[in-house]
Amino acid sequence: MSSGPAYNDEKGSSLGEPEYGHDPASGGIFSSDYKRHDDLKEMLDSNKDSLKLEAMKRIVAMIARGKNASELFPAVVKNVACKNIEVKKLVYVYLVRYAEEQQDLALLSISTFQRGLKDPNQLIRASALRVLSSIRVTIIVPIMMLAIKEAASDMSPYVRKTAAHAIPKLYSLDQDQKDQLIEVIEKLLADKTTLVAGSVVMAFEEVCPERIDLIHKNYRKLCNLLIDVEEWGQVVIINMLTRYARTQFLNPNQNESLLEENPEKAFYGSDEEESKQGEMDAAVLPKRKPYVMDPDHRLLLRNTKPLLQSRNAAVVMAVAQLYFHLAPKAEVGVIAKALVRLLRSHSEVQFVVLQNVASMSIKRRGMFEPHLKSFYIRSTDPTQIKVLKLEVLTNLASETNISTILREFQTYIKSQDKDFVAATIQAIGRCATNIDEVRDTCLNGLVQLLSNRDELVVAESVVVIKKLLQMQPSQHSDIIRHMAKLIDNIMVPMARASILWLIGEYCEHVPTIAPDVLRKMAKSFTNEEDIVKLQITNLAAKLYLTNSKQTKLLTQYVLNLAKYDQNYDIRDRARFIRQLIVPTEKSGVLSKYAKKLFLAQKPAPVLESSFKDRDHFQLGSLSHLLNSKAGGYQELPDWPESAPDPSVRNVEVSEWTKPIGREKRKEKVEKPFYSDSEGESEPTESADSQSPTASESESMSEIESESGSENDEESDEETKSDKERKKKAGKEKSKKQDESEDSGQSEGEEKTVKKHKEEEESSSSSSSSSEESSSESSSSESESEGDSELDTGKKSRKTLSTAKPPPRPLETKQKEISLLDLDDCESFFYFSSSENS
Amino acid sequence: MISQLFIVSARGDHLIYKDLRGEESKDVVDIFYQKVRSLPRDQAPVVMHHQGLQFIHIRQDTLYLVATTRCNVSPFTVVQFLVRLVSLIKDHCGTLNEKTLQLNFALVYELLDEMLDYGYIQTTSSDILKNFIQTVPETSKQFNLFELSNIGLFGADTQQSKVAPSIAASRPVFAMRTEEGLKTEIFVDVIERLTVVIGANGSLMRADVQGEVRMKCFLPSSTEIRMGLNEEFSIGKADIRGYAAAVKVDECSFHQSVNLDEFESDRILRVVPPQGELTVMQYSLSDDLPVSLPFRLFPTVDKDTDSNRLMVYLKLRCDLSPKSQALNVTVHLPVPKGTTSLSQELSSPDQRAELDSVTRSVHWTIPRFHGGSQLSALFKLEVPGLSASSLLELGPVCMQFELPMSTCSGLQVRFLRVSSTHPPLPHRWVRYVTHSDSYVIRL
Repeated sequence: MSSGPAYNDEKGSSLGEPEYGHDPASGGIFSSDYKRHDDLKEMLDSNKDSLKLEAMKRIVAMIARGKNASELFPAVVKNVACKNIEVKKLVYVYLVRYAEEQQDLALLSISTFQRGLKDPNQLIRASALRVLSSIRVTIIVPIMMLAIKEAASDMSPYVRKTAAHAIPKLYSLDQDQKDQLIEVIEKLLADKTTLVAGSVVMAFEEVCPERIDLIHKNYRKLCNLLIDVEEWGQVVIINMLTRYARTQFLNPNQNESLLEENPEKAFYGSDEEESKQGEMDAAVLPKRKPYVMDPDHRLLLRNTKPLLQSRNAAVVMAVAQLYFHLAPKAEVGVIAKALVRLLRSHSEVQFVVLQNVASMSIKRRGMFEPHLKSFYIRSTDPTQIKVLKLEVLTNLASETNISTILREFQTYIKSQDKDFVAATIQAIGRCATNIDEVRDTCLNGLVQLLSNRDELVVAESVVVIKKLLQMQPSQHSDIIRHMAKLIDNIMVPMARASILWLIGEYCEHVPTIAPDVLRKMAKSFTNEEDIVKLQITNLAAKLYLTNSKQTKLLTQYVLNLAKYDQNYDIRDRARFIRQLIVPTEKSGVLSKYAKKLFLAQKPAPVLESSFKDRDHFQLGSLSHLLNSKAGGYQELPDWPESAPDPSVRNVEVSEWTKPIGREKRKEKVEKPFYSDSEGESEPTESADSQSPTASESESMSEIESESGSENDEESDEETKSDKERKKKAGKEKSKKQDESEDSGQSEGEEKTVKKHKEEEESSSSSSSSSEESSSESSSSESESEGDSELDTGKKSRKTLSTAKPPPRPLETKQKEISLLDLDDCESFFYFSSSENS
Repeated sequence: MISQLFIVSARGDHLIYKDLRGEESKDVVDIFYQKVRSLPRDQAPVVMHHQGLQFIHIRQDTLYLVATTRCNVSPFTVVQFLVRLVSLIKDHCGTLNEKTLQLNFALVYELLDEMLDYGYIQTTSSDILKNFIQTVPETSKQFNLFELSNIGLFGADTQQSKVAPSIAASRPVFAMRTEEGLKTEIFVDVIERLTVVIGANGSLMRADVQGEVRMKCFLPSSTEIRMGLNEEFSIGKADIRGYAAAVKVDECSFHQSVNLDEFESDRILRVVPPQGELTVMQYSLSDDLPVSLPFRLFPTVDKDTDSNRLMVYLKLRCDLSPKSQALNVTVHLPVPKGTTSLSQELSSPDQRAELDSVTRSVHWTIPRFHGGSQLSALFKLEVPGLSASSLLELGPVCMQFELPMSTCSGLQVRFLRVSSTHPPLPHRWVRYVTHSDSYVIRL
C-alpha cells in the first residue's frame, strides 16, 4: 500500500502540474516531495484553527484524488478533539478512510468518541456514534456494541436513528454479534418516531431479513407512519412490507379463475362488491372459500396510495411494485399514471421505469393502454430507451389500437439508428404473431421492406418474415418466391440462412426455383458462413427427398464439400444426412423415415417478449433490472394457501395510563390508526355511529385509543399477564374461526379492554362475515339480532374515537403538505418537535 | 446498498472517490471508465456490471456520477440519489463541473458524509443538511468569456442547454452566511419543452408541451413569495374562465412548499421556498396547443436520375409573432446513403449548411430567425446510383431551436411579490424559454 501510492504521488505531480497549476489544493504543489507533508504536519500542530483547517482541506483533496495520505495519520488524529467543528468533521472524514490501515493509532481516538457519546448535544452524540461505528477495527467491537445499545435508548430520535444505521456496520465487522443486534433491532422497530422507522428497517433488511416475525407487532404502526417517514426510508419500508404481505395475506386475485369460469360476473369492479360477490359464490359453490381482504392488507394499500404523488421516483416505483404485487386486479390501474409521469424525468430514470413498465405491460395490458401515446418514440431518445419503448408498445398492441401502432412503426423504420430499426422490424413481427387480423398487413409491409436499400433492414425483415410464414406457408408461395430471388443480393448470413431454410421447408410451393437456388449455393458453398452452410446441406437433403431426379448430383456435391469442411458441426451434419437419405445396404431402419424426419410439420415459433418471465423478480429491484439475482435478493414469496393467524399483528395493551408527556405524539399516530379498518370499505357506517349505544363506551374508547399504540414500551408485569391472557383468547378465537371455515378475515381492530373481551369473543366468530357484508345482505348465515347490534355498537365506538382526538396544529399543517407532495424536510419537523416535548 | 461512490470526468480523471463500506478495491473507477469509453456516446446503459459488481451511473454534462453496489438495492433509489446529489452540489457550490469540484473537495466530502452512512442514504434534504455543513464553499472568481459559454446553467438542464448564461444564478446558495443580506435575489424560469410530430401532409400528428416553473432562491428561508399566474389558467377539463385566451394544461403538480389556498380563486401560488433550486410547478399539455406551431416546413424534392442529383428545396416559415424570434435553429435532413457531396443556396450569409457523412444528414443552422419571416434553402445532393428507393431515405426532418421570451402554453407569471421584512427589496428575475425537445416533420 505504501510503495504503490507513493509512486502515484510522484507521477501525479509531474503530470498534474501543468493542468492544475493554479489550484492550491492540487497535488502539484505539495506532494512533489515529503517535506511538503512536514509542512502540513506543522500546520496541523499549530494552534490556529485556520491553519489546521487549511491543512485538513488539502489532505481531503489528496484523498479525493486518490493519493495516499496515510503517513499523516498521527498528526491528524491528534486533532480529533479539536474544538473547531469544521476541522473536526474533516478529521472524521480522514479517520474513517484510514483507520482500518492504522488500527493501533486509530485506537487513540476512541476515548474522544466515548466522551462524545455522553455529550449533552444530540448532534455530537450522533456524530460520535457514527464515526465510532465507521472505524473498522475489530478490537473495538464490544465498545461499539455498548454504544449502540445505549444510543438505542437515547432520548433523541436522531441519535436512535444513528444507532440504527450503526447496526449493519457492526454486523459486517463481526457476524457473531447477530443475536444481540437483533435484540436492538427489535427494540428500535418498536420506536414510534418517523425518523427512526426507515433506518431501522434498513438495518433489519441487512441483518435479519428472515425474521419476519419481528414485524408483526409493528406492522400497523409502520403502515401508519409511512407517509411521514423520510423518502429513502419509505422505499425500504415499502419493499419490506411487500414481502411481508406476501407471507401474511391471501392472494386478492384468487377469484380470477372463478371469474373466467363465470364471465357474466366479470363486470364488478370494486372490492366491496367483490367480497359480497364472494359470499354469493360461496353460497353457490360451497367448496370455495370466499375471499375477504384482511383489513391489514387494505390498510397497507390505502396508506401507500398517496405516496404515488411523491416527488421521489424511487418512492413512486416502490408503491407501484407494491400495488402490482399485492393489490386486487381492479385497483392496480392507479399506478399507471404515476409511472407514466416518471417518464418525464431524466433519461436514466426513464430507462429504469421503462424496464418495469415493460414487465408489467405483459401481465396487465389494460393498465397502460390509455397512456399509449406516452410511449411513442421521440427522435431525441437514446437508443436504449427507444428499444424499451418499442417493447412496451408491442406489449400494448391489441386489435383496437394495432393500426395506430403499426403506422407509428412505419415511421420508425426510416430512422437513422440501425439498431432501432432492427428492433422495430422485430416488433412488427411480434405484433403480427400476436394479432391475427393484421398478420397479412404486416407481412405485406415487411415484404415491401425487402426492397429497402439498407441491407440490415432487409436482412432483419427476412428473418421476421420467415417466422411469420411458418405460421401459414400455403398462402404465401409468391412471397417465398420473391425471397428466393433475394438470395443473390442479401449478404447478411442470418438472412441467407433464413431464406434457404424457407425454401427447403416449403420446396413444394416453389418446385421450380428451389433446385436452382441449390445450384447457386453449391457454387458459393465454400465462401459461406457456417450457419449458411448448415442450411445449404439441409436444403440439399430436403430437395433430395422430394425431387431427387433433379438434385441428386447437386446434393452429393454439396455433401462432399461439407464432408471436408473445417467446421466439425458441418462435417457431422454431412455424415448424418448422407446416412439418412442415401440408401445403402448398411443403412438401418431410420432411412425409411428420412422424409418424415426432414419434412415433419414444425411448430411455428412463438415470438415473445424478453420481459416475459422477469416478473418473478420483485419489480423495481436491481435483480429485476439485471434479470438475475443480485446479492442479498430476497425472494418474493408466493401467497400462502390459507392466511396465517392475523391476530399476531394485534398489539397488546395495558389499560394503565401512559406517560403524559408523550400523549401528544401518540395522538398523531393514532388518528390514522383508528380510521383505518372501517373508513373506506364501509362508507355507510357513519349513519350508525350516531346510534345511542355508542355513547356509553365512548369515554372508554378514548383511553383505550391512547394506550392503543403504547404496546411494548411498558413492560411491567401487568402487561405480561395481560399479554398471556390475550394470547389464550386469540387461540380460542382462531379455533372457532377455523371451524366456521372463515378464518383469517376477522376484523383487524384492537381488542383491548377486558370488559369487552367476552362480548367480543362471542361475536368474533360472526363478526367477520357481518362486518364485510352490510346489514342488508341476507345471504350470510343467520345471526341473532343481539350479536349484530353489539357489533354495530362496537364499530360506532371505533368511528367515534376516530374523530375524537383533536389534531395538533403542527400536524394539520403537515397533513396539508403531504397531500400535495412529500418531502424529506417533514421528517425534520418531527425531529425538532419531538425534541421540544 | 451503495458500496462506493465516485465522480469521474469525461477524460477519466478521478474527482471524488468515496468508499462507503470498505468492500471493494479502488480500481473499479478505471474499470468503469473503460467500460464507458468502449461504448459510443450516450449508449452506456444505466446499469453495467463487472464481476458481480453493479455500476449505476448518471451523466451530468462532462461528469459521470457513479455508485457501485453488490446488493439488491432499488435502482431507482440510486439513480434518484445521484440526481439529488447533483442538485445539492449545485446548491452548495454554485455549479457542478470539474473546477468547482476541485475547489470544494472538502465540502463535497462533508456533504457525502452527512448524506450517506455505510452506503445507506440518510437524508438529501437541503434544509436539514445546511445545519450540518460547516465548510464554506469556494467559488472561482475569475470568469473569462470562454468559460461563460460552457457554464452549466440554472434552468437549462435540457439536452441542449442553451439559455443565455447568467453568472448570478450560478453561485452557491449557502454562501450567504458570510455576506448576509448582500444579495437577495430570486430567479424564476418558466421552461417548456416542445415535442411535435408533423405528418407528411402537413397535419399535426402530435404535440406535447412539458413545462416547469423553476425557482432559484437566494432569500433567507421562510420568506413567503406570492406568484401570480395567468388568471385564465385552467387545469384539465375545467371550464374556461373569462374571455381572454385561455391557458389550459392537462396536468399540473406542485412542489410541497406551495400553498394553494389562493390558487383556485386568484391563480396565486404562495411559495415558501427553501434556499436553493426547486421546481415549483410542473405541467403538461398535449395535442391542443393554444398557439400555432412555431415552424412550418414546405419541402419540394426533385429527382434527376440522369445526373444522379437530388434537389431538395426547403421553405421554412416561422409563425411566431413578429416581435419575438427563434435562436439557434438547426434543421437536420437525413439524406440517402452514399450521398457524396452537397451544394447549397441559402438566403442569407449567416446561415450555414453542411453534410455530415457520419449521420448521413444535412445540417442547416440558422442563428437567428425572426417571427413572421420565411427562409428558404436549396440543397443539391450528388447521389451516385440514385433510384426510386433513395427518396424513401430522405427525411424525416428534425429541428432544434430555442424560443426565448415565449411559452407555447401561454403561461405567464403576472407578478412575483416577496413579503420581505428586510428593507432592501430583493431582485426578482423571471425568464421564459421554450426548447424543442423533439420537433419532427415527416416528408
